[in-house]
Amino acid sequence: MIRYLLISAFFSLFISCKSYQIKDAVSVDNSLQFVQNQYFSDVSLDYVYKTHIEIYGNKMGGIFIAKRINDTIHRMVLTTDFGNKLLDFEVSENSFKVNFVIDNLDKKIILNTLRDDFRTLLQVNSKVFKTYKRNKEVIYQTENNAYYYFDEVSSNLTKIIKTNKRKEKVIFTFNPKKTTFAENINIQHNNIKLKIDFNQINN
Amino acid sequence: MNAQEQKMSAQEIVKFKETIENQSKNIKTIKTDFVQIKHMDFLTKDIETSGKMYFKSPNLLNWQYTKPYQYSIIFKNNKVYINDQGNKSTVDAKSKIFEKINKLIVGSVSGNMFDDKEFDISYFKTKEHYITKLIPKTASIKKMIKQIDLYFPLKDATVSEVKLIESSGDYTKIIFKNKVINTKIDDSVFTN
Repeated sequence: MIRYLLISAFFSLFISCKSYQIKDAVSVDNSLQFVQNQYFSDVSLDYVYKTHIEIYGNKMGGIFIAKRINDTIHRMVLTTDFGNKLLDFEVSENSFKVNFVIDNLDKKIILNTLRDDFRTLLQVNSKVFKTYKRNKEVIYQTENNAYYYFDEVSSNLTKIIKTNKRKEKVIFTFNPKKTTFAENINIQHNNIKLKIDFNQINN
Repeated sequence: MNAQEQKMSAQEIVKFKETIENQSKNIKTIKTDFVQIKHMDFLTKDIETSGKMYFKSPNLLNWQYTKPYQYSIIFKNNKVYINDQGNKSTVDAKSKIFEKINKLIVGSVSGNMFDDKEFDISYFKTKEHYITKLIPKTASIKKMIKQIDLYFPLKDATVSEVKLIESSGDYTKIIFKNKVINTKIDDSVFTN
């Protein structure tokens, strides 16, 4: 039994040591110092989306509002359809401030997960570590192991994949209208049962 | 207090409450359109949604957004039926919180919210409206809502506008339009 455990432990160690690789992608020289996600970048705009959140089978809906406050900080609010606030955050690459959270969501694990997701979703500039190419895609790996997928023809950002160096952890998928605006966005977690959908509201 | 707002006298308050309470006793149905305006100081523009509300005494309620998206929430037989852009779900509504929401919505439209246990209430009037300002007493509600203002047109004993003010000062304003009292509403309206 012990031998079996040792073998399987060794085996899983061996498997999980394999670092994350993008299939069929080739490494190329870095052409950019910073990769840009422009979908929440315009300080003059209010970004308003209808949102659906599914967490461990529980569904909830509401409205997601985000605004770039200055060069580094975004403010984001989640309300119910009736307009009452569930969450109100200010987030940047290095800072995080909770202006308001309802008691049901006021748990460290929930706040940290949402903080990380919204930080990735909203952050405009990220430092490029490596660049890859695959078919008609350019992929920028950032220093914190997120991968930004761009369509080479349209220059639209289509996907951000966050990894823990070995595995895909969170996948952000964008359905772009143009390089600066995404009509629909989906956030899918692989290690926890959490899915968030955003659909643009024509306000 | 707004410059043009005046406190109502004790006599006026008694008369006003009597009118509202009498009127709301006679309410069998309410059918109205509404516009909901969400104001947050940090936004450039308010967020506007709109829809329809149907109420049938004593406890059928359909609150339905039609613009800019479809969303309806129906309270019926101690259950809450939600249809969120085609995604349907049902929640048991025996919980106190849904009872309170139901009471709050119906109370907001009829105006019968003179519950001294739940709120500190003050009364004002302007040239166009009577205004009641309700400050919640329960800490859990207080955290979400600092104050509820109900506007009653002088010649109409039901609410034309509700303002829910958060502790931050941000607010949600709901304006009722084309309101019809005691018209026949088919039960099928309360089906998801």
